[in-house]
Amino acid sequence: MTIEFSITSRQQDLKSAIHGLAKSVIRPQSLAWDRAHGIPEEFLIRFSQMAASMGGPAGAWGVQGLGAGAAESKAESSDKKKRGSAMVSTVVAAEELSWGDPAMLLCLPGPGLGGPPVRGSGTPEQKERFFSIFQNMSDGLKWGAYALTEPGAGSDVAGIRTSCKKDGDHWVLTGRKCYITNGARASWNVVFATVDPALGRAGHRAFVVEKGTPGFSIGKIEEKMGLRASETAELVLDDCRVSAANLLGGEEKYQTKEGFLTAMKTFDNTRPLVAAMAIGIGRAAYDYACDFVRDNYMMSRPIPRYAAIAERLARVGRNLAAARAVTLRASWLADGEIPNAKEASMAKALAGKSAIAACIEAIEICGAHGTIASEHQLLEKWFRDIKVYDIFEGTGQIQRIVISKRLMPELRSF
Amino acid sequence: MIDFEPSEEQTLMVTAARQLAEKLRARTREIEQARALPTDLRETAFEMGLGGSVAVPETHGGAGLGMVTAVLLEEALASGDAAVPFALSGPGAVGSALTELATPEQAQHWMGKLADSTKTGAVAWSEAKPSRERAGFITTATKEGNDWVIRGEKAFVLNAEQADVFVVFAQVDVAEGWRGLGAFVVEKSAKGLALRERNTTLGLDAVGSASLVLEAVRVPDSARLTPAGDFDRAVLRFFAREGLKVAARCVGLSQAAFDVALDYVSNRKAFGKPIGHFQAVAFTLADRAMDVDAARGLVWRAAAGWDAWAADGKAASEKEALRDSAWAISFALEAAMKAADDAVQLHGGAGFMRDYPVEKWMRDAKQMQLCFLTSEQADQIAAALDIGAPIDPALVLPTPETQAVFT
Repeated sequence: MTIEFSITSRQQDLKSAIHGLAKSVIRPQSLAWDRAHGIPEEFLIRFSQMAASMGGPAGAWGVQGLGAGAAESKAESSDKKKRGSAMVSTVVAAEELSWGDPAMLLCLPGPGLGGPPVRGSGTPEQKERFFSIFQNMSDGLKWGAYALTEPGAGSDVAGIRTSCKKDGDHWVLTGRKCYITNGARASWNVVFATVDPALGRAGHRAFVVEKGTPGFSIGKIEEKMGLRASETAELVLDDCRVSAANLLGGEEKYQTKEGFLTAMKTFDNTRPLVAAMAIGIGRAAYDYACDFVRDNYMMSRPIPRYAAIAERLARVGRNLAAARAVTLRASWLADGEIPNAKEASMAKALAGKSAIAACIEAIEICGAHGTIASEHQLLEKWFRDIKVYDIFEGTGQIQRIVISKRLMPELRSF
Repeated sequence: MIDFEPSEEQTLMVTAARQLAEKLRARTREIEQARALPTDLRETAFEMGLGGSVAVPETHGGAGLGMVTAVLLEEALASGDAAVPFALSGPGAVGSALTELATPEQAQHWMGKLADSTKTGAVAWSEAKPSRERAGFITTATKEGNDWVIRGEKAFVLNAEQADVFVVFAQVDVAEGWRGLGAFVVEKSAKGLALRERNTTLGLDAVGSASLVLEAVRVPDSARLTPAGDFDRAVLRFFAREGLKVAARCVGLSQAAFDVALDYVSNRKAFGKPIGHFQAVAFTLADRAMDVDAARGLVWRAAAGWDAWAADGKAASEKEALRDSAWAISFALEAAMKAADDAVQLHGGAGFMRDYPVEKWMRDAKQMQLCFLTSEQADQIAAALDIGAPIDPALVLPTPETQAVFT
């Protein structure tokens, strides 16, 4: 035990491999994918092959799968406390892949955000049934997704209105879900619904709704400001009949308010991941601005002529490093199975804010040049991509509410 | 492997330092009014091994415990009273100066002299006025025979009154401007050395500062500090290391200000509920909580970087430690100022009263923003390193032409 910030050689190998791919394969196509406004399946197949070759455990896909592959397994760790390192490895990989193109991370095949609630709350039978489909993608790529947000309930998760009613050995779901990443192509969506809005969180139920379930359909595919190569869908549930076997965790799990906790627990692990993605985009913009300044300004002049630009750059780098330190700590806590809700929210809030500032500053420092889009000039794309990182997975304001509640345990609501 | 848990030895030392910090907190107004650290506290801290020798390598006569241990202890102590770590007995900033600028023999000699609970070191860098004629310091060191003769006046010297050993920076080559500096060890007993009246300062009252007048002070050639590598780079490392310690003290102050503010807003009621339960107040607290964690993370990372460089000696590691220190300094100094400012603000009128500690911390935080490296100077260093521009000492080092600082 000691305070240390260097990554393991396996994490370094993973980071280097993704960096190489980002530089030589992802970035040159990034703008074309963004304009095509669709998922580049050909690239994703290639990426999945690479991921498998890097020793990710079977069935673990997406960036978490890469992280798990690079982690020291608990058994082989020499540390007597036997803490894992999967989450730290995951955020290292996520920052690097996002440095290339954040949309690619979002559209990686695998259970996606649907993974954590199934892993955390599913029965052994459900885990087997829903995760086994990712073991074999030779017949096509497969995704899972997480459907919580509704037209009338975003940050106020407790306010969802999608209803569920028990009917024999089925549940009948009715409502709409929106802004669901990969929701349209997912083999299954984890859908949150309520038995009675008056019950608040206690009324929440989580279902795994499989593609092709009667009454389940895809609404519109959203046109977005950024992350355009990632697909965001609206889901429609119209008297959708879901087998009772797909109620996540089984009936008895909902005698408490665990339904809502299922939704919230997901975020303790995904917020550091999203933070790392934001930092990756911010770092891309920072690197670009540093290169631009090196090539276009003479910082070595003996008069502090460009001190103002140097200061702005330094603050961008500094604030990204600050967010990274907090993100690594939140991830390290997760690996040690130590509660990290406050730290995860801090990471997300800091990373979103500093990465947005990084993209804005980078554009300003590069001037008109910074707004031009071309194959090797992606600042304007990153500027469009980054804004949502202070919105999805809980806005910056929601993170501050989460942090406040952890600081003042007696605080119930504002 | 990424790890945020201190070693058992570090934890024991930090626990002891925190216990001392509680005593400091209880006596903070007494210390402030005395404008000095009382002897009993001074001796307790010295016996605990706290002070400027923690991170000095064993080859240089220090404890060799590394920068991570040093910043953990600095933070712990500063959470009680941020002025105290500046005022401890022992080498103080001279420890970092000897680590970076001296040969092992020179360092061991002077560290040996300072290994005494009644002895203190001080660094004399800044000057009160810039030279109007040329770049560089007005204070000069001229070679006369085998000796160096130092003439001039150094300003804002921390611990000047209690110090027994000074590291004095002076111009050795007038034509070279900011690249023509040298560093010399001068004892208080040296003929021609005198102190001006102690400054009356905004904060950090426990540590005095004063100007040092050098009227043809003669020191032997062996008193000139000669680092193995480039002198300018070594000076930069000295400022980065000592500045990182100030950053750690800022984290300690930030945490204390945050804790006290959180306690106050949880108990103070207005409009029928604790004021912390109003969103404007709660969000302010959340922002400061993030700042404290982020500042601590940056400080730890930079400290771990110095220890990594000490182990591998690679140029890339040195550069990273320098850059990370600059980031940590830039961030932590501002974070402390904000934490203290908000703590006063959240206390309302009470915050302005000396019944509460927060007004003192606000003054201390401002003063710490002017010790060793300022955020502005740190930013110039970090940007130059990341852009790959050559580092011009005139641009990045504190000087009367940019910002004079307390050292």
